[in-house]
Amino acid sequence: MQIQVQCGCGEPSCPEWAVVELQGVAGYTFTVGYHELAGTKVTLKNPLLVLRKTKTNAGCGEQEPPEVELEVIGIIRHKILFKDRPKALISKPPTKEKKTLQPAAK
Amino acid sequence: MDAEMEDAGAQAEIERGGGGGGADAVLGLAGGGAPVSLCYHQAFGPHDDLVLLEAADDLLPDLLQGRVTVRGRPEEEAVLCTPSATYSMKFVGTSNSMFLIPPGEPSAKCLRPDSTNGDANAVAATIKLAPGSIELVRTAPRLDKLRSLLRERPYILDEVLGNDFQHMKGLYTWQDLCKLIQASDGELLDGLNTLSAVEIDGFWRTVDANSVNTILDMILHNSVLHDWPLNAMPENDVLSVMESDGFTHKIVTHCLNRFGTKVEQESRSFWNLDEKRVCLQFAQRALGAGKMKLANFMDKWERSIPSGMRADLQMLEGEVLCEKLGAETWVHAFSVADLPLTPADRFAALFREQPKWEWKDLQPYIRDLRLPGVSSEGLLIKYTRRTQPSAEAEPIFTAR
Repeated sequence: MQIQVQCGCGEPSCPEWAVVELQGVAGYTFTVGYHELAGTKVTLKNPLLVLRKTKTNAGCGEQEPPEVELEVIGIIRHKILFKDRPKALISKPPTKEKKTLQPAAK
Repeated sequence: MDAEMEDAGAQAEIERGGGGGGADAVLGLAGGGAPVSLCYHQAFGPHDDLVLLEAADDLLPDLLQGRVTVRGRPEEEAVLCTPSATYSMKFVGTSNSMFLIPPGEPSAKCLRPDSTNGDANAVAATIKLAPGSIELVRTAPRLDKLRSLLRERPYILDEVLGNDFQHMKGLYTWQDLCKLIQASDGELLDGLNTLSAVEIDGFWRTVDANSVNTILDMILHNSVLHDWPLNAMPENDVLSVMESDGFTHKIVTHCLNRFGTKVEQESRSFWNLDEKRVCLQFAQRALGAGKMKLANFMDKWERSIPSGMRADLQMLEGEVLCEKLGAETWVHAFSVADLPLTPADRFAALFREQPKWEWKDLQPYIRDLRLPGVSSEGLLIKYTRRTQPSAEAEPIFTAR
């Protein structure tokens, strides 16, 4: 089978997506709360394209496998990367999880 | 009303995960301006239909202008093809949390755990946590299948093709091949030329060996009859004489191209038959499928070739193998064109044929191998073991 990769946006105007990346599994909400995360904006070595895969049933017969379409809907050239552990801005009352609280000042 | 339709379209896009994220606000963060709040988009979810593809800058034009296809059967590992190159697609997972933020005006609806309506600063929303991305690695086109497909039904002179489905078996159009063969258009065409395939009535065919011999014989016979010099055969004359003998222009031109090169002179076309290619064809005919004593073979071969041409064993490197059995040297056909194209399979086939090879015999059987990023020395190191009994002796290559 052959799947044509389509792009309706054309090269100069491909919409740019953003990425926020946390090292490790995120267990925190993002709005500024008790923790502060320091991150940097990184330019990706190779851009990432965001592709949408759609399956269309051609409806011409059960023997035909469903047609798959791939469309480029965006491009990612940068990401905001958070590598360090979050620092607590204020000292929190003890919580059920055992976590080490970082001092507020660097 | 246009504004409403635009909104409806934008809303649909947001719901599909393609908009409403406010990516620009996040991308503008490094400027040290106001902080940006990031929350979960209303449509946050797995969105398994969204995938990330890592694309080097040189691939972007092809990708963004619709010149790329993904090819292969569902059970094969997919490859991505630009017009001239083939890339394997490998999903690389990440243990990091990669939150995707779509472009577009941030939609007002963000999810908060305490289900309030989002604060006044909420400007960016993530739609999906990406598990990883697809990496592209340049790879050799997978052309072994092409050869086996086209050998299902070689073209035979005066064949009769039926019209029904049964008779279409083993016949492949260019579009069929694009769907079945994991190679770019450019590499697929090269592969077809390497097989000396020809497109007849929309189907790509190899030509059966007996038919090739018949056509070549006829061309040579006519060249004697009509005094055409073998290095300057007038194209129009050749085509019209062969046509009156019952051979189509297409198949004659194909054979001329296979055994010669075209030369334009004073706005007329001439064909120059290539001694090596013609003599090789006669050698294969003389040798057949078995073994012959070298002396007998050379004699039979020399007597069969067109007058004016010279038979030289050197022409047959990569096509025949000689071996010493007792006091005699025997020769048999062993053509590189019949061997697998992937390096691992090629070396396996070579070592099955004979366990030890000297470089001068091995070289013609591996010089066509291509592995992106690997030199021929690299291939030898990877697939063979090199031994040298003494400083003056020739090195011997065996299986690793």
